[in-house]
Formats: sequence, C-alpha cells, structure tokens
Amino acid sequence: MLFSYDWLQSFFPKKLPAPKKLAELLTLHSFEVQEIKKVDGDLVFDIDVTPNRSDCFSHLGIARECSAFTNLKFKIPACRAGRQNAKLKEDKKRKIKDFIEVEVENKNDCLRYMGGVLLDVKVGESPEWIKKRLIACGVQPINNIVDIMNYTMLETGQPLHAFDLDKLKTQNPACRTGRHSLKLKTKIIIRRAKRGEKIKTLDDKEYILDKNILVIADQEKPLAIAGIKGGKAAEITSKTKNIFIESANFAPTLIRRASRSLNLRTDASFRFEHGLDPNLAEEGLKKAVLLVQEIAEGTVAGKRIDIYSKKVKPKKIKIYLSKLEKLSGIKIPAKEVKTVLKRLNFKIIKEKGDLIEVEIPTYRQDLVIPEDLIEEILRIYGYEKINSCPPQISLTFPQKNPELSAQRKVKEILKELGFTEVYNYSFISKEDTRFFNKEYIVELENPVSEKFQYLRPSLLVNLLKNAKHNLKFFEAFKMFEVGKIFQKQGSKILEKRTLAGIIVGEKKEEGFFVLKGYIDSLFDSLGITDWFYDEFQPRPEDMKKLFWHINKSAEIKVNQEKIGFLGEVSERILHHFDIRVPIYAFEMDFEKLIEFITEEKEYQEIPKFPSAVRDIALLVPMYEKTENVQKKIFAAGGDLLIDVDLFDIYFGEGLPEGKKNLAFHLIFQAKDRTLSSEEIDNLMKKIIYSLEENPEWEVRR
Amino acid sequence: MEIKDIKKTAEREISLVKTLKELESFENKYLGKKGILTRILRSLKELNPEERKKIGKEANELKEFLQKEIERKRGQLQEKHIEEKEKKEWIDITMPGKKIERGHLHPITLVRTQIEDIFQKMGFSVVEGPEIENEWYNFDALNIPKEHPARDMWDTFWLRQNELKMQNSKLKMSQRLLLRTHTSPVQIHYMEANKPPIRIIAPGRIFRYEATDASHEINFYQVEGLMIDKNISIANFKFIMEEFFKEFFGRKTEIRLRPSYFPFTEPSFEIDVKCSICNGKGCSVCSYRGWIEMAGAGMVHPNVLKAVKINPEEWQGFAFGLGLDRLTMMKYKINDIRLFYSGDLRFLKQF
Repeated sequence: MLFSYDWLQSFFPKKLPAPKKLAELLTLHSFEVQEIKKVDGDLVFDIDVTPNRSDCFSHLGIARECSAFTNLKFKIPACRAGRQNAKLKEDKKRKIKDFIEVEVENKNDCLRYMGGVLLDVKVGESPEWIKKRLIACGVQPINNIVDIMNYTMLETGQPLHAFDLDKLKTQNPACRTGRHSLKLKTKIIIRRAKRGEKIKTLDDKEYILDKNILVIADQEKPLAIAGIKGGKAAEITSKTKNIFIESANFAPTLIRRASRSLNLRTDASFRFEHGLDPNLAEEGLKKAVLLVQEIAEGTVAGKRIDIYSKKVKPKKIKIYLSKLEKLSGIKIPAKEVKTVLKRLNFKIIKEKGDLIEVEIPTYRQDLVIPEDLIEEILRIYGYEKINSCPPQISLTFPQKNPELSAQRKVKEILKELGFTEVYNYSFISKEDTRFFNKEYIVELENPVSEKFQYLRPSLLVNLLKNAKHNLKFFEAFKMFEVGKIFQKQGSKILEKRTLAGIIVGEKKEEGFFVLKGYIDSLFDSLGITDWFYDEFQPRPEDMKKLFWHINKSAEIKVNQEKIGFLGEVSERILHHFDIRVPIYAFEMDFEKLIEFITEEKEYQEIPKFPSAVRDIALLVPMYEKTENVQKKIFAAGGDLLIDVDLFDIYFGEGLPEGKKNLAFHLIFQAKDRTLSSEEIDNLMKKIIYSLEENPEWEVRR
Repeated sequence: MEIKDIKKTAEREISLVKTLKELESFENKYLGKKGILTRILRSLKELNPEERKKIGKEANELKEFLQKEIERKRGQLQEKHIEEKEKKEWIDITMPGKKIERGHLHPITLVRTQIEDIFQKMGFSVVEGPEIENEWYNFDALNIPKEHPARDMWDTFWLRQNELKMQNSKLKMSQRLLLRTHTSPVQIHYMEANKPPIRIIAPGRIFRYEATDASHEINFYQVEGLMIDKNISIANFKFIMEEFFKEFFGRKTEIRLRPSYFPFTEPSFEIDVKCSICNGKGCSVCSYRGWIEMAGAGMVHPNVLKAVKINPEEWQGFAFGLGLDRLTMMKYKINDIRLFYSGDLRFLKQF
C-alpha cells in the first residue's frame, strides 16, 4: 500500500526522521517498507501492511505507528483548504431529514450507517494539493467531490461514497408534485439484492446480483454495491448540485463474499473485508463534509444520519509483567512498559503489583489476548533489544526417522550408480492423463492452467518429459526422482511416496539388462536379499499395459511382494512424447521398498580353500528362460556349486532355427577342503544328466 | 692370491660396472657357484686349522663386503635405469582425463540434508506430513478463520471432490481437501500425537496457486520448525535461529527479527539475514535492503495449542517456516526458482 511521506509529515508539528531512516524504523517496529519512490517532489513508501492491521490502511494509522516508535507528538491535521482552522457550519434551517431518509434492513449486514447532505456544491477540478497526494498514492483524480471521498479514505481509512441526491428516485408520487428543487424527499435502503437484479457501476460494467450481495438502493433500484463500488445511476457529474455522502460500516464477511463472487475488488472492499472500526465512520464523515464545504463550497444540511445500534466500546486487556518476561526471555522495567503502552494510546486503567490493565482504543480491533499486547510492547520496545539466550532443556536425542534415512540412502546409492536426481512438478496435464485410468486421477478444482490440471498418478510421465528435453543436449543419461504420487481410491485420495528412474542411451538389446543390473545393485546395497523379476501378466483393464513394452517389462518382487515395475517404455508412449530412442524405466512403491531395507550385515569367513571353475554350454529353445536353466543347474549342483554365471548368449548363424546357445561359468567350492577334480567331474556329470532330462535341451560337448 | 689382492681387484672392477648386466657377471665372478670367493670358502677345509681360521675370516669379511657393495651398486643402477626409462615414457598430461560418469543429487536435497543435520545436532527430530491436507489442518487449527482476509496470504489449490459438493455443512467444509500451502499443518499432526516437550523440524513440499516467475513457483519447499517446552522464549528462539544460520552460512552471519503477522503465532516475526554480498549496505542481491528475508516465525498462538489440547498456561514455544528454495538459491547463487523443477541436466549436473 502506498503512503506519501509529505502526507505523513502533516500529522506532526515536528520533523519526522529522514525518509530512509523512517522506512528503517517502520520496518523494524511496524511493517516492512518495500520501496521508496520519488513522485513529483514527494516520496512514496510502499508499505507491506499486515492483514490484521486494518487501522493502518490509512495515513492516520501509519502516522500513529510513527508516533509510537519515534515518540513524536502527533495531531489530526487541519483542513488545508485555504482557511486555517476551518469549521463545519451547518445550515440549521435546512435539515437533512427534509431531504433523505435511510433504512437499514438488517443491522448485522450494516453495523453503522452515517450520512450527510451538502447542497449547492460546485463540482469541478480538485485543488493541486489534493490531486498531488492522490496521484502519489496511485489514485486517479476525477472531480473534487469524488476526489475528496478518496482523499478522506486515504487519510482516515474510512471508505466513503457520494451520491447525486437529485438522481435518487422516490416512488411517492405526492412528493413529485411539490416544488422540484429542494423539497423532494427520498429514501435510501440498505438491503440484500434480489436475485437477478442488475447494476451498472461507475466504470460502465454491468453486474448481476444475488441475495448474498448488499446494495444501497433507492425505492426503485440499487445505487451502489455496498462497500464495493458505486453505481452509474447516482453518479456525481459536473451538473451535480446536491450530494449525499455515505460513511458506513458493513459486515466484513459479507463484503468479502460479494467481492469474490463478483470478482470485483476495490480500495473500499479491501478495507471493509479486513474489518473496520465502526467509530471511524464518524471521523471519516466529518472530514469529508468539511472538505466539501471548503473546496466545493457546499452548504451542509443540518444534522447527520447515524444508524448505529451496537456501539463498539474500548476493550480492556490485562497483562502480567511476569508473563511478558517469560515469553520474551528478557526483563523490561515496568516504567518502560508503561511508556510504550502510553505511546500506543493504550490507557492504563489499573496497576496492581505484576498486573497492568489497559483500555484499547476501538480502532485496534486486532488486539484481543494478552499475547497481542505483549507483541505490541516488544515491537515498539525493539526486538533488537532481546539478546539471544540458549534454552535450558533436558538433553534428549532426536527421534530416528527410518523413512528419511532410507530416502537418503537410496538417493546416495543411485547417485553413486550414476543417476542424477530431479524434482518435477506434482502436476500433469490433461493430455498426459490418457495413459492412466481416469477414475484414479485426482483433479484440481482451480488449476493454474491445463498444463497443471491433475495430480501426478506416476512419476514417469514427467521423467519422460525430462528425457525429451535433455535429449537436445545429451545422448545418454540416467535420472531418478523420489516424490509423492496421488491416486483416488473410492472417496479417499492416496498419497504414496514413489521412486522412479529412467535410463536413456542404452542399446535396444542391452537396455533392459543394464537397468536390471542397476536395480540389482541398488537392492544389494540396501541389504535386500530376496528379490526377483516376475513376468508381467496384465489384466485387460490394466492401464499399465499401455505404458510398458509387453515383452520387455517385469514386475519387481521382494519377498514375493510386488513393489514395482521395470522395463522398456512402450513406443506408443514414446511417440506421444516425440522421443525416438528407447527408454528403460522403473517405478517402485517407496514405502514398501523401505520395509525390506536392512542395515544388518554379518561377516562371512573368507574361503580358505580355492574354488574351481567349469564351463557348460547348452542349446535351448529361443523362448526358454535363462532362469529355468539356472535353477536346474543349482538344483543338481548341490551345496558345492556356489555360483552359476551366464557369460554368453548366442543365436543365429550356425545354430538350428529357433534355438539359442547359453554358456555359463559354474563355480565350485567347499568350506573345508580343496575339491578334487574327480569330485567336480562327478558333479558336472550329474548336472549334465539333469539338464538333458529335458528333451529340448542339449548340452554341447 | 691373497684375499686383500682379491679385494683390491674386485673394488676396481665394481667401480667400472656400468649396467645391471655387468653387475650380475661381477656377482657371478666372485660370489657365484663357481665364483672366486665361493671357491676359496669351499677350499678352506683343505687348509690347516690356523690358516683356515685366518683366511676363513678374511674371506667371509670380503664376502659380506662384496654383498653390500653389490646391493649398493644395484640400487644406484636400478635408480639410474628407472630414471632413464621414465624420461623416455613421456605423456601429454594436458590431455583430458577419462570420463567417469557420476550422478548428482538435486541442490534442494543437498541443502535439505544440511539443514536436517544442523537441527538434529540441536536435538530436533525430523518428521514429515502429508501433501494433501484438509481445510482444518491447513487453516482452521492454525487459527486462520474461514472467510478471513488472512487466508489470502496463502493462495490455495483445491482438489475436485464431487461427492462433497452435495453436503455443504460447516463440518464438511473443514474436510475439504487442498494441497497444503505451508508445512505448518505438520505442527498440528505432531502435537495431536505427541505431548510436549517438542522439538521438531518438518521439511516438505508445499503448493501455492500463483503465477510462476523467477521467484515464484506453484510447488516449492519449506522447513517447518516447532519447539515447545515450559519456558521457551523469544530470546531462546533468537539463539536457535542464530545458531542455525551461523552453521549454514558461516559464523559471521547476522540475523534480525522484525515484526510480522501470522494468525498462528503471537508475537510474529520475520527473520532477516544480513546480506553477505554487501554486508548490509544494500545491493542488487538483497534488492537494496541490506537484509534478506529467510523465514517467518513467532511464538505459537495459544489458540493453536488449545486446538491440539495443550494447555497454553503450562507450555509455550516457537514455530518457524524456512524457505528451502530461497536458502538453496542463496547458497548457490541461483537466480531463478524454476530451474529447480526444470529437470534440466545442464543445471542439475552442476551440483
């Protein structure tokens, strides 16, 4: 919010600190000053007023703050309209009730309604000093009446509105017959809009209203959207002669809802929705009427309208100095506390030992509990005066967080394996959802754009986008992400931490096995022992089948439990992302994975006796799984066979059609002796015999 | 021949030896199976005891002497040989090293780990909370009333929930789901499940409905902190924050508190760190303010404690929220928050 230094100065007979110094003091004691700008010889402060301080949406409020922390005396500035000490002069003969009557339908909607009438005003351009201040605060001058309303709002914080009195319609035909000019009495009603009722606002826009919107109406139609914007119907123009000034207080929630539903935010609605002091309405009206009298030379009709049923009275708050000390951690002498309270205009009404009770001016609606008061004392006293002090607490260890250490470990291992970590958006686009089952996908009520309309049900989509992007600069890379994915399940929404990764740049024949090797390495490093890759058998409705190459993908199982997937990403997906190289990917349920992680390791004695290696090669049908052959070899080899290592696969030229040649190293070792070649020969015979039990398998000699 | 003559000859010969091969023949000549000295030693038994003793001693002394000399010479020659060989084996050391592919952790992970470690050393446990929250945890329990303009401080993503639209009662309203706009709901979850004293931090991803630019993102990271005990004061809070920032940015780091407003803390502060680039004088990095805003914080509001059934008369403490992205940007001088979520390896490989 913008504030003029010159204007703030007008509240102080003495000189304020220099602008830069004042900005610093404001930042340290009240609100952050974002920027100081030069505007036409004045300096404008952009101050970040916090939403609890509606009293400071005005120069008056900021001046009060300045007074509190500088200890400079401040007074409400006199009217600067040519005459010193201008006073309000009411025309006793012409009473306001002869011109207008006001009805508030529901006093909960409108806490206070004040109004004044000025007759025979001269509408024209505002004096320079008003225009200059408005422009400094970012408000466009219009004419003297409208400008005075805005000026008063910027000075006091009270939004005001001026109506052209002669444009208000009355339905009482008897009145119309009288002398037209001044006797015509109209009625203003503060009521909820009827459904479908329309209003054209000052900026020539039409709004359709409903019963949740409060309006200021004459007997025919709405003249203004209460607390938000004035209507065209009673607009002040150069021809306007008589005006009605409104200074009211509307229910904050009502204004907030209306402003949101109409998508119409104004300086007035902003102030009202933050909650204003109803007592401010009076100050605002007085100031505005006085300015109109002095600048537009209007005559003030006798008396004012004031509908104010529940008068807001000052609150009382008690604080204990011991509490202040306990919360702040420092001892502030009672004398200083009282000085600060006085500078804030809080009246000390009771002092008893440790206790101080103060009366809070009604403009400080934000202060409710003792802690609120403590904050006031401390910020004016100065947070810089609180010296840091180590807490005195019992010595306890932080709790262990296994999930977190698992995360660190997994990331560290993948990094060592050459993977780079990415953080992607938690969102995917509408287009990206086509590969997922729609009923599981979580949609945002208010997305920022179609690109970020849904929550990601998998990490892979965004990883593939990363691949596409990075292929412009790199041929081969590996990436991973640990992050939350979201899936609907009935009326619940599941949020699951997931680990996924991709490998780009591997050859088509090897990619799958390279990836498998990385996963083996990851599991091994995590202390997982019992894992395997199971054939993927999708059910027809399984959307995963769209994602993976049907023959080059597998389920990852640990201890028989499914924890994820790995494989080659299907070309249909790659086409969608316009990627022309094969991509190998994996995705795992991180929460399941960490259940199997173990730190436990036990030393196995280094073998004392040498091992012996024998090779075996056999022809098997093309679609035979290597795992089946290995299992058979292990079963026949017994305890002395400690490893079976596939070192070559060959098919094609020189081999029968539909057959492949598998070659293994077999490693034999005993714990207690060196194996004799005779022993090993016997085991080999047994293995060969066992393999050849299958008529389609042929051991090559 | 007298032993001392042999010694003289041998000394002269070895001084002339130039190569390891020559040294080998020299060794053979004197100490080999048929070497001069070996033969003498072997023929000792043919001598009378007196001569045997004398010559034997002399011969053995000479043998030892020669062995030492040969070793010394061998050392010299070997050194010379290696020197010459290496002189010839020139490589161009300016040629590039063999590329060893290594992976990289995301800069936010690196900074997050560092922050967790610092707080853990000060006895803070690290906990986490869900990214999807309901209105109660994200707002109501944190003393942020419905329909209050303070809610505008957090622009919120709401989840589409068709089943809830039907029943629009107040109670149901609090169940409305959203993407958490801060990590503060973790305070509530934790205090519901744990009694004070409490000392936690909670890092995690948060979401804001806003337009993205170099300093704004729709998802980013925060580290929540919460410490509750009988007497935890603002002075204690200042100490913890000072220690943290000194550990993180270096011992010379200065911080300051300035007033702010959060509905869930009272008093509320903003924590600024003095700009290390200009030392508080004002420069482009700190937008000419001299200080950089690093966290929002305050003393936990009694209403928040009441909401989780902790007696505010008995317990008090502070809470804070650190911007993880901001800290990471400061640490590595990154000028655009969007780089973190770009997945661009040209960026990620720098860490």
